[in-house]
Amino acid sequence: MRLLLVEDDPMIGESVRLGLRQDGFAVDWVQDGKAAETALAAQPYDLALLDLGLPGKSGLDLLAAMRRAGNGVPVLILTARDGVADRVRGLDGGADDYLVKPFDLNELAARVRALLRRRGGRAEPVIRHGALTLDPVSHEASRAGRSQRLSQREFALLEALLARPGAVLSRAALEERLYGWGEEVESNSVEVHIHNLRRKLGADVIRNVRGVGYMVPKNLP
Amino acid sequence: MSSIRRRLLAFLLAALLAASAAGGVFTYRKAHEEVDALFDYQLQQMAQSLRYQSFLGAQAIDDPDTDFVTQVWDANGVLMYLSRPRLSLPRLQAEGFQTVAAEDGRWRVYTLADPAQVIQVAQPMSLRTRMAGEIALRIAAPFLVAVPLLGLFIWIVVGRGMAPLTAIARSLVARNAASLAPLPDRNLPAEVRPLVCALNDLFTRLERALKLQREFLGDAAHALRTPLTAVQLQLQLLERAKDDTQRGEALARLQGGVERSVHLVQQLLSVARLEPQALERRFAPVQIEPLLREIVSEHAALAQDRGVDLGVNRSEPLAVQGDEASLREMVGNLVDNAIRYTPAGGTVNVGVRADAQCAAIEVEDTGPGIPPEERERVFDRFYRRPQTGEPGSGLGLSIVRRIAELHGASVSLEGGADGRGLRAIVRLPLRDEHAARA
Repeated sequence: MRLLLVEDDPMIGESVRLGLRQDGFAVDWVQDGKAAETALAAQPYDLALLDLGLPGKSGLDLLAAMRRAGNGVPVLILTARDGVADRVRGLDGGADDYLVKPFDLNELAARVRALLRRRGGRAEPVIRHGALTLDPVSHEASRAGRSQRLSQREFALLEALLARPGAVLSRAALEERLYGWGEEVESNSVEVHIHNLRRKLGADVIRNVRGVGYMVPKNLP
Repeated sequence: MSSIRRRLLAFLLAALLAASAAGGVFTYRKAHEEVDALFDYQLQQMAQSLRYQSFLGAQAIDDPDTDFVTQVWDANGVLMYLSRPRLSLPRLQAEGFQTVAAEDGRWRVYTLADPAQVIQVAQPMSLRTRMAGEIALRIAAPFLVAVPLLGLFIWIVVGRGMAPLTAIARSLVARNAASLAPLPDRNLPAEVRPLVCALNDLFTRLERALKLQREFLGDAAHALRTPLTAVQLQLQLLERAKDDTQRGEALARLQGGVERSVHLVQQLLSVARLEPQALERRFAPVQIEPLLREIVSEHAALAQDRGVDLGVNRSEPLAVQGDEASLREMVGNLVDNAIRYTPAGGTVNVGVRADAQCAAIEVEDTGPGIPPEERERVFDRFYRRPQTGEPGSGLGLSIVRRIAELHGASVSLEGGADGRGLRAIVRLPLRDEHAARA
């Protein structure tokens, strides 16, 4: 899952990016409204984390512009303004959730997962496909009673493929889900992670469509 | 407790009683004079009427209810008639009216003498005194009855007059502690209006001061939230660290966050401490040159870390009147900013020169500068320029301006020497001796 973090404070921005990355998210971090607009135009994101007290263009203005442009990406507001009026304005302005600073990294990750789950139309916290389940909190996958702990990258990769079983994702698309800006993409890494996933969960869990990319079969035994 | 109402009542009643008493005494005297004249005339007429009366064989009256005592002597001095034998009044030689003291009080006596006889008619003075007293009392009595009524009337009228004050007191008591709304000042008597106006003026000033304080507190709490959020996140990252390398990095980040929070708290404290009266009490002559050298030495380590060349480039022996600690903080903030925003390899110059009755302290850097349209806004409290990359509180320059204002100084930002960088100039008024020499 690729998230856009819009936060002007360098210390908070860096910490949130590091923390979310440890939870298996790819995070792109920008420090002002203009850069956020550029990033949103250049790339689809699964979720945006938005600070309201941005220099230049305010977070609410940015949110309004996004929604006007028809961008429906879930938005989680991070702000130091904790007045009820501020929260109402943020949520009515098109935000999906609201977290007041100072906040807890685990709560942030949980809210991000909840928003993504809701967007995916799931009520259950665990992603389920056939006999395969994937727990976004513990990063554990299990199939036929065998539970396996996945690495961050493995988890992110499998989660991306499970979002739409049967749809083929190219290697480039998968890399995009795995790496935020500034993170070095190791060559062959996608292949390595897929190899590991197959080893842990069975070879048939991910199918290779030659010359196109990878998919989780629609009907997984 | 002294009450205006009670005091007014007491004064007015006392004045009324005193006036009544004086009036009573005056009336009594006047009445006595009138009664005297009337009875004297009566005595005289009675003596005249007895002149041609024969007293041979006349019976004495000797009735205690008769006030008059009549005595008649013949030409030889033999008492021919005495109306009340048991009462003896002396025979008086002189003619006309006299007042004599006898064993049963004072008497008024009229003596009429002719060759044939001496007639003496007397009347007790107590009669006159009693009558004068009765007259005076009859005239004064209504006043005495009126006193309690008047007292009641005064009590009510004064109470009514004090009603606006009572109403103000009641509304002040009734309002809650936080309410500083002005009192209604319509339909007030002229005596009460100044009090209400003064109170309302005080309320307005208090309200303004409280509002500023609330705003500052709100801003301060808001400003503290950002570094504390960073610290909390950094701490969680430290907890999550899996090995020593990660732990070391996380610790370094946490340390940075804590330092930043401490710095912010210090700045908030110095903003709160910058109270005009307190500062002015500490004013003393301050030599600028040594102060600048000290500030530069204090910042030398930071400049070295950042790869910035920091130094004093121009200096004159100048003195100003001010608080040395505050001036040090002011220039220190400017130097700190200059170092932080100047990229490695840049230069920061600090200097002072005399300029039109002022000591112009300049801090110049070769950093990215600030566009002219933002050079005023950066002095606003908590204002932070976008994309500076430096975690700051947004308080530094507002503190600089506040200290400058408290010293009667101006502070402004200009472009650097060759259009690059930024030059901050503080113009402090020179002490008089310099001004005189200039």
